[in-house]
Amino acid sequence: MRIRVCHLYPDLLNLYGDRGNVLIFCRRAEWRGIEVQLDLISLSDQVRFTDYDFIFTGGGADLDQGLVSKDLEMRGPVLIDAVEHGVALLCICGGYQLLGRYYRAQDGATLPGVGLFDLYTEAGSRRLKGNILLDLDPELKGGIMPCRGQQLDTLVGFENHSGRTFLGETVRPLARVIRGNGNNGDDGTEGVNYKNAFGTYLHGPFLSKNPHFADLLIARALFRRHGSVDLAPLDDTLEINAHRVMERRLR
Amino acid sequence: MSAWFRLNLALLTARLVAAACNLFHYPGTSLPGVVALNVCPNAVNLMTPAYERVLAVTGTNGKTTTANLLAHFLRAAGRPVAHNAMGANMLPGVATALFQDRQFNGQPRSRIALLEVDEGSVGKVFAAARPELVIVTNYFRDQLDRYWEMERTIALLREAVAALPRATLVLNADDPLVVAVDQGRAQVRYFGVLKENRPVSENGIGQGGQRAVAADGGAGRQGCEPAATTGTASTRETREGRFCQRCGTALTYNYFHFGQLGDYFCSNCGFRRPELDYAAWGISENELLCMSVSIRGASASAPDYDAAAAVPPGGTVPLRKSRLQTAPDGERRELKLTAPLRGFFNVYNVLAATAAAKELGVSDKVIQFAARCYKPATGRMEDFEFAGRRCTLALIKNPVGANEVLKTLIQTGGAKALVIAINDLAADGRDVSWLWDADFACLADPSVGRVICAGLRAADFAVCLKYAGVPLERIEVAPERPASLRRLAAQQADKLYVLATYTNLFDYARLLGRLGSAVEQHAH
Repeated sequence: MRIRVCHLYPDLLNLYGDRGNVLIFCRRAEWRGIEVQLDLISLSDQVRFTDYDFIFTGGGADLDQGLVSKDLEMRGPVLIDAVEHGVALLCICGGYQLLGRYYRAQDGATLPGVGLFDLYTEAGSRRLKGNILLDLDPELKGGIMPCRGQQLDTLVGFENHSGRTFLGETVRPLARVIRGNGNNGDDGTEGVNYKNAFGTYLHGPFLSKNPHFADLLIARALFRRHGSVDLAPLDDTLEINAHRVMERRLR
Repeated sequence: MSAWFRLNLALLTARLVAAACNLFHYPGTSLPGVVALNVCPNAVNLMTPAYERVLAVTGTNGKTTTANLLAHFLRAAGRPVAHNAMGANMLPGVATALFQDRQFNGQPRSRIALLEVDEGSVGKVFAAARPELVIVTNYFRDQLDRYWEMERTIALLREAVAALPRATLVLNADDPLVVAVDQGRAQVRYFGVLKENRPVSENGIGQGGQRAVAADGGAGRQGCEPAATTGTASTRETREGRFCQRCGTALTYNYFHFGQLGDYFCSNCGFRRPELDYAAWGISENELLCMSVSIRGASASAPDYDAAAAVPPGGTVPLRKSRLQTAPDGERRELKLTAPLRGFFNVYNVLAATAAAKELGVSDKVIQFAARCYKPATGRMEDFEFAGRRCTLALIKNPVGANEVLKTLIQTGGAKALVIAINDLAADGRDVSWLWDADFACLADPSVGRVICAGLRAADFAVCLKYAGVPLERIEVAPERPASLRRLAAQQADKLYVLATYTNLFDYARLLGRLGSAVEQHAH
């Protein structure tokens, strides 16, 4: 079995340890004997997104995000097409905002987004940052496999954003906030889920403490071409410990 | 209330707080300043004019070592220096050091104020202290939850420096992000490191072009290359400033040293590494760091002052407080230096301190002598005798700094065991994502035995090591400091290391000192 991974803008949207997520995704697939093909795709590279099973994009600095935004404009329709066909996608922070409908800056200027997710983002004055504890959306909990006999249905991570994101009618949140701010600090939602595409503000190596969600992504990525795949359980002692330590700290 | 009265009241307050800190064994490197600044908010503005010279060091990595080296050079030249040596480098830390140096007659004990300044505090500190010489070491990602993004930090320095039109800048030419601070001012001195230890004549300084490699290609020196992983995304070193600061084109590099440091040029607008006034080459790093500094122009012939030049103790011969030397073109000459430091990154620190010392007129002889007897600051590759072996304590706080420490460690022979202690308090940075941008993959090297994960984020770090390819049986989690050191002492290894983030550093130094001496007593 083979899984094809596209890391989009690894040179530009890599603000903080984002590549850790790709590493974790790939390793966890390899440890199950799944062959991984990883392609790094950046500005003006020719690419067919439907050739991939999983697309990842991270967060970037303002300048780099500007460059990406122009490039994404052109790729938008094909990216949406891929997601409509079931390709799995995870985008974080800046990538998350760029895939929404638009971003409105403090001065009122509007930067159009790809429109893959039915959401929009407005600049905020205060930065929302810190460790965060989430309760996975009920619809996703069913897809979580037990890790070493434990059923994890929380997510932990670190958020750091000034944008306030508001979800539209046609998408679900990734999770509900237990501790922290989430999408906008008000409505208790965090992240987004549409088909097999996910967005979140949990930046950096978000999958490192959430092995159950990493596996959910792998399962979703394989589904389009291989149907339901039983992923062999891994020794996740360290990962679960890291999850529990942070969960205890925040409860 | 008069300014004089207020300042003396603040001084008294600072003394009392410092005494209280001392009484309770609390490191009073910042708290006296915090309290005293409440009494007299412009205390730093009021205290700095009493100094002959005010100097500042800022940047991401190497501030403490560069400032400590420079203070050491200046003291060796008979110039007493007031200096926030303990790394408390925001306005209160600076104020604490100045209050400590001030006497009740209103005079400072020292002649020179040397301020290590946090990148985020340059606005406040420069406006208050008005330094006449500013060293900028480098810009790497560091604690983005505190400073958001590096672009902002650099803009902050640019503004702070623009308000000091008469200040001399001593800049790292190898870092395109630092060079962007220059903006065509007259009084700038550049330092940098030449390629593959070749002298200036063979290096074609500033002649970028022929041996160009793409920005992610060649490496200027051998290092700890991460173990092969899936794809190239995880084998790339983190590089900032890949794009020209003037026109946005991707920079081309003749060579890299580490991070984005190297010899670069922009093929579009002509932006390139400036000519080096101070160029390091002929570098060898074993137990001692040996290097040659090639000095250009008037910097080479500036009038010297040194301890031998009849400066009485306490150093009262005034320096000219006017402008520093401006350089007509001239011959280059060489200054050979040896310092008890390890790690290639220290070449930049020695070079920066030497450049500043030369600009201030310190003689070659004094620099050579002082470099040789320099003692590293707490946790900057500081050695202890622990469990019958050498144990090196090193600060890690961001990917590039951590990579340089790891490279130095891996290049050392013998079996190694480590404690790596990661905290996430305010001074460490609340966000530990940076761990995933560092090359811990090199710890999969067979010469590395046990890696003991400690600190508040021990659990996170263990996961990071696992995915970096360190075999599971070598990873151990022992969050508490004493327990982690007990586990370290139990390892069969020739060399021990403790790598720690800032808030762990001083406690480990204290513990290693205490337990280390206990080991020695047992030995007798």
